[in-house]
Amino acid sequence: MAVEQAGLGTPDDLSDEEREAVETLLYRLADDELVLGERYTEWQVRAPTLESDLALANIAQDEFGHARLWYDLLQDFGADEADLIYERDPADFRHSTLVELPFEEGDWADAIVRSYLYDVAEDVRLEALAGTSYPRIADRVGKVRSEEEYHQEHAQNWLERLADDEEGRARLQEAIDRLLPYALTLFEGDEIDARIDDLGIRTESLDSMREQWFDIALPFCRSLGLDTPEGIREDPKSFLPEQVGRDGDHTDDWRDLHDEMTHTYRELGRTEAHKIMPDPDETDE
Amino acid sequence: MIWEVFRQEEAGKYHTHCGNVHAPDREMAKLFAQIQHGRRKPTNSLWVVPKEEIGEVDTDDAAFGGTTDKSYRWVMGYKDLDAAFAQEIADSESEQEAADRQKQAQRGDD
Repeated sequence: MAVEQAGLGTPDDLSDEEREAVETLLYRLADDELVLGERYTEWQVRAPTLESDLALANIAQDEFGHARLWYDLLQDFGADEADLIYERDPADFRHSTLVELPFEEGDWADAIVRSYLYDVAEDVRLEALAGTSYPRIADRVGKVRSEEEYHQEHAQNWLERLADDEEGRARLQEAIDRLLPYALTLFEGDEIDARIDDLGIRTESLDSMREQWFDIALPFCRSLGLDTPEGIREDPKSFLPEQVGRDGDHTDDWRDLHDEMTHTYRELGRTEAHKIMPDPDETDE
Repeated sequence: MIWEVFRQEEAGKYHTHCGNVHAPDREMAKLFAQIQHGRRKPTNSLWVVPKEEIGEVDTDDAAFGGTTDKSYRWVMGYKDLDAAFAQEIADSESEQEAADRQKQAQRGDD
């Protein structure tokens, strides 16, 4: 008797419905990481100190690395890197609108609050993927998680220090008021999410992940003397911004960012992505 | 505030000074040091030390090694010894010879 492959098995084993569920989840993961990394790089040579500059640049590199791991799994289904990033219509990107917003001019608190809200959500999301039924994802979760720990620690340490004086706290409060609604879009989905849950590709639903995120982020913000909106837990949907991103509806800022991100590719008349590193499947790193 | 950073490549080896970071406190210094000094070279452990906590004594304050002949402190003082039986002794001897040449040259400069 043949040994049954664990869970959903290899990419070739997937039915059309299973594949659609896996792809939906991977696009969100990969696009979130890519676009956030792209935004972070705007701080390069502009962060408050050399040290904070390098730390955020390093975090951006980590996010690109994670995006690459997830895009690589999408390549199992035939797309290549250029299709996934440079040739893809900006309206087909599925990232949350939290990661595409431009930073308020020179506002380090914006970068830190955004990073914190995202990194906590990312931790919750990876936790929900640790027991995934899709082995290709399971193999990569650990690698991503160990780097995300630093990100969260970095954001948390900065939050504590900025909250320590009045001006810093005021800036954090403004950033929270502005960004919290956008952070909620990280937990938005569509009709495919029920299937993602049923197939065990993720072991927690979006609603339960949002609850976990509230449990961590809201008390922490309050412990720093920062206010979070009344009723956001009870009725998160009513706080959602106009564009949630997950459905392909993005802010105009995303079009600009996408344009900038693909500028060199277009200008050089490229038709494929330049590769300088081996395929993630061929390395142990 | 400046924190001096010391890197250890592998367990059991010395922590060696490798540079510094600016950080408001120890926790942030450890966080920044990871990126600035532990990212590209093999690293097992990092120490961060407040610069002002470091005590220094230099050639203005001290004549290192003394000023009279104390060559008995050196392995080369025991030239008749057959160093071949232990590689460490041979290594140490050549290290000290090199250090001695350097010292002579330094004196020559003065």
